[in-house]
Amino acid sequence: MLSWLENQVVFSAVLSLVLITGMMTCVAYCIYFERKISAWIQDRQGPNRVGFLGLFGNFHFWGLGQPIADGAKFFLKEDIIPARVDKPLFILAPAISMIVALIGFVVIPWGGSYMLGETLMNVQVANPDVGLLYILGVGSMGVYGVVLGGWASNNKYSMYGAVRATAQMLSYEIPMGVAILVVVLASGQLRLEEIVLGQVGGNGLWNIVLHPVSFLILLITLFAETNRAPFDLAEAEQELVGGFHTEYSSMKFAMFFLGEYVHMITGSAFICVLFLGGWELSFFGIGPAFPGTGIEDVGLISVIIKIGVLAVKVAFFIFLFMLVRWTLPRFRFDQLMRLAWKGLIPVSLGILLLTVFGLYMGWQRSVLFNLGGEIAIVAATLGVVVLANKPVTGRQDNMPAVTQPLGG
Amino acid sequence: MIPYILYVLFALGGAAIYLAMPKPSGSQRRAALVLGVGVIAGLLALMSMHFVAPNSNNFFFYMFAGLAILAAGRVVTHPVPTYSAVYFALVILCVAVLLVIQRAEFLAVALIIIYAGAILVTYAFVIMLAQQSGAVSTDTRAREPLMAILVSFVIAGAIAGKIEQIDAVPVKMTAQVPQAVTDVPIETTLPATEMESGHTKAIGEIMFGPYLVVVELSGILLLIAMVGAIAISRKQVPIEDTGEPKLPVGQIGREVPPF
Repeated sequence: MLSWLENQVVFSAVLSLVLITGMMTCVAYCIYFERKISAWIQDRQGPNRVGFLGLFGNFHFWGLGQPIADGAKFFLKEDIIPARVDKPLFILAPAISMIVALIGFVVIPWGGSYMLGETLMNVQVANPDVGLLYILGVGSMGVYGVVLGGWASNNKYSMYGAVRATAQMLSYEIPMGVAILVVVLASGQLRLEEIVLGQVGGNGLWNIVLHPVSFLILLITLFAETNRAPFDLAEAEQELVGGFHTEYSSMKFAMFFLGEYVHMITGSAFICVLFLGGWELSFFGIGPAFPGTGIEDVGLISVIIKIGVLAVKVAFFIFLFMLVRWTLPRFRFDQLMRLAWKGLIPVSLGILLLTVFGLYMGWQRSVLFNLGGEIAIVAATLGVVVLANKPVTGRQDNMPAVTQPLGG
Repeated sequence: MIPYILYVLFALGGAAIYLAMPKPSGSQRRAALVLGVGVIAGLLALMSMHFVAPNSNNFFFYMFAGLAILAAGRVVTHPVPTYSAVYFALVILCVAVLLVIQRAEFLAVALIIIYAGAILVTYAFVIMLAQQSGAVSTDTRAREPLMAILVSFVIAGAIAGKIEQIDAVPVKMTAQVPQAVTDVPIETTLPATEMESGHTKAIGEIMFGPYLVVVELSGILLLIAMVGAIAISRKQVPIEDTGEPKLPVGQIGREVPPF
């Protein structure tokens, strides 16, 4: 009956259709939950009025109809292209940020293998030899949307947003790449599916146990790469009106936002695959995998459980993203740069050296060596910071002090 | 016969680029576009007849090769530098697709990460910082267009003419290691299964096996260049004395009494 599906190309096409639909729905409800979580943190109600056309009387389903209303609003609003903008690039920029965010997820292994009829399918749209590098490449293209949008808008606030975003993304790509390199060295693989298989219970521990500091660095850089608070200097409302999207309206504005949320989902899935065992269900890879979710379990129910496991892990990270956004204040720009260049890059390079040494000695699976070494590196860094006794501002020592009148 | 057709095509291509160069009096863009597309079509037709055996991948090859050449033409002829950068990114992406068609995924992705992701973004950054008010009159004047086009197209034509004379290479990945690096020439032939799944591992084994010294040397060279660039660009700028009293480090503003 489903024999036409027993072909990886057809299966991938169907899977990507399902994923795009699912992803868009998730994004819509991510925005809803973002508003709910911010309301919860700030002791408000959040959206709670929009139900489903009043079909259920006065019961509004906690405002669950809000994303649909938001989407409809974006489509129906007037799409303004200001007179003096660079029109081709102005239209191209939101498309680039959307496309780049969407094509990233094709290499994420969502649920291991699936036995469909007689054939074993990858529950993954594509499994290229260089899956991990592909995600890095696509991620590095993401900055074009922000940069071109900011430049084309012909607005100084947009321009400042674009310049900030470029400097930020260029800086945070370095520790991100090095942190990922640690996983590549430890697992000896560039294929994401193989990296997951190396972490399945019985095969090995989750990488977060072996390399917790790398995991933290990747998490921090992911916040920066998605332009989320506390790294949202590109769209700092208090200083830059709206940053790079000041001049955008209607669906073009919405596309920047959809891009950001899809980027969040893809990035969370990526970090789960690299450090948290992807679809694997066991306690940090200690002991065997949960019955029915091993590598050999390729039935429909197993695959659904695996997808569910990955979805729960991704949902946790998205919740973390939102919690951090509504808790922490924004960095100042010099703090942002100092964190990347003087904090994350030296630490990540130290961990890289440590991992290479461990690989040379054959200790790449030793918890004691990796965990102890990473903790020692962080402790040494903190020690240097404390002993150097530099002021915590990023000001040049010989800069004249700014005199501020009393009361601001 | 074929070399002469190639040379004529390259001469026409050079003429097309010359016509499309930005000039204060306005460039003959339409004529250049017609000529340029004609030259690309002629090149691809020549290739399809004489060099490559037809198979299913050829359509994508011709599409992206043509697109890459067109975009490359726009890189040098567009009057707005930001557009040149965007077209350069397009060239990189097209070349990456060509590499994927040749099963060189690693090279393709590395090209995208390094060129499109890092170098070009830096270019765009500099262009945006240097020039925030759109096109200026210096951008509409090409500098020495004739000489530049002559030199580049003569080189390109010479390379193409030489490539045409080489006999078809057998489909087999070989790595001949020069005598200077190791004493024994090594020939690596990949088995068919590894060709199917990409050959990132094989590239790594070749790069860090026989070519280890060369790779490390070029790495050190790049490191030296980077240190040099930082040393040149980073200068301590003396701040002129404003006459205000110097404050201790970390203190913002002068101390004010509480009331």
